[in-house]
Amino acid sequence: MEIEVGKTAKYLREKQGVPEHLKEELKEFNRIKKAISEALKNEELTIAQLSEKLKMSNSETMYFVTTLVKYGVVAVGEIDDMDEYYSYKLA
Amino acid sequence: MNKDKRIIDYDALVIGAGIAGGETALNLANNGYKVLLVEKDRSIGGKMILLSKVFPTLDCAACITTPKVSEIARHKNITIFTESEVTNITKNVENKFTAQITKKPRYVHVEDCTACQLCEKVCPVNVRDQYQFGLIGRKAAFIPFSIANPKAAAIDIENCTLCGACEKVCPTHCIDFTMETEYYELHAKTVIMATGFNLFDPLEMPRYGYNQYKNVITSMQMEREIAPTRPYNTILRPGDGKVPDKIAYVLCVGSRDKTVGNPICSQVCCMYSIKQAQLLMGALPMADVTIYYINIRSFGKGFEEFYQQAKGMGVNFIKGKIAKITEKENGNLILRYEDINEGVLKEAEHDMVVLSVGAKSNPTAKTIFDNGTLKFDQLNFIAQSDLMESPSKTNIDGVFVAGTASGPMDIPDSILSAGSASSEAISYLIQNELA
Repeated sequence: MEIEVGKTAKYLREKQGVPEHLKEELKEFNRIKKAISEALKNEELTIAQLSEKLKMSNSETMYFVTTLVKYGVVAVGEIDDMDEYYSYKLA
Repeated sequence: MNKDKRIIDYDALVIGAGIAGGETALNLANNGYKVLLVEKDRSIGGKMILLSKVFPTLDCAACITTPKVSEIARHKNITIFTESEVTNITKNVENKFTAQITKKPRYVHVEDCTACQLCEKVCPVNVRDQYQFGLIGRKAAFIPFSIANPKAAAIDIENCTLCGACEKVCPTHCIDFTMETEYYELHAKTVIMATGFNLFDPLEMPRYGYNQYKNVITSMQMEREIAPTRPYNTILRPGDGKVPDKIAYVLCVGSRDKTVGNPICSQVCCMYSIKQAQLLMGALPMADVTIYYINIRSFGKGFEEFYQQAKGMGVNFIKGKIAKITEKENGNLILRYEDINEGVLKEAEHDMVVLSVGAKSNPTAKTIFDNGTLKFDQLNFIAQSDLMESPSKTNIDGVFVAGTASGPMDIPDSILSAGSASSEAISYLIQNELA
């Protein structure tokens, strides 16, 4: 098989394939990313508020939201009056 | 035997590129010896490069480590193999060592990578970032961390979906999925073991609720939270994003505890917890920080003053052994403990608990030498054959040990140990040259 520079992923994909669980995990991450982006479209929300909306645990919501902050999808908003919880908004 | 094995020759093989291995390699290289430095991770710098600050000086760890790793990486006498493992070493009759080395593919030609991070941007995959101790995600095409050395992208092939987006955007075409594992046979005159230590896994102590209660974290996770390259915008509870007010430290988690097979002191958990407590008081001035301890071992230079300074800043110290941690509905944690001074059982509520985990030996060191010829102590740290007179010598002539591979120690002691190991190795090389 001839391997073209810049297209070598195809070579490895054909050689070893991609495990199903990775495809599923990717789908799940995209679903969560979309759900978080939708939820933050019109309002800033705290982790607890987002968690309730998305029906996800607080800790999972925290993990995905802060990861999306790192990826530049979500931004950190204001902290509440008690200086306890930050809200999050779309970047 | 693999037919594609490459034969290479160096004066010295240093296994492990943490702060002790790096220092050893640098000392040997500065004396004109050719060194092969083998590291299993994607970056050199070991655990120290991931720390926030160091005790008792509170110097920035990255500010100390970055110039050091850069000097190691640029030294003309040092060759670095990252993502590589020494699988076997034998000593032959001519007093030379033969080592088998496996170098895993990075799928990136490091010399061509400009660290532009375009590959990271387009990679669709998300996995937990091991360099942030799971607090946040990272991509499958990624630069391990901002001060990694080499500062180059890597592909996490275990989690890559091989979509090819990364190589399409790479301006230098340095991503290459045709890269394969390389095998080397190294001939060296001396070997220095700097294989480091492993942090104790708190899952072995279910009564502390690690992983079950999301606001119970390890000291390395807190280390990341207070580092300049932290996962969050400030210090937050991973359970719900709350800024914590009442933080507890539980010392000696997996140290001085025969029930988990680790009866020895980690040598560092008192001081790094005191360091973190001071940094937390600076970052969260309104927070209460309480340290639950069995004994405070402030034995090193400047340590007692550092401890007293923490007390002066308002850190609470309670001589108490934690029996159990339970979680309230709001994510707060109840610590049930024996107040050792008063001899009574008490309970206290905290927002967040940090487990100050101990140090264990690195089991991979045990598999390297042929037929178990290298001796280990009862806790599987590399045995020092003459602890009092030549603490870097092992039972094999020509094999030396540097840093925490021989037992728990702090950073200054690791550097001293590396100095000792490199001096012994140089002396050994000179004697062999004269013979």
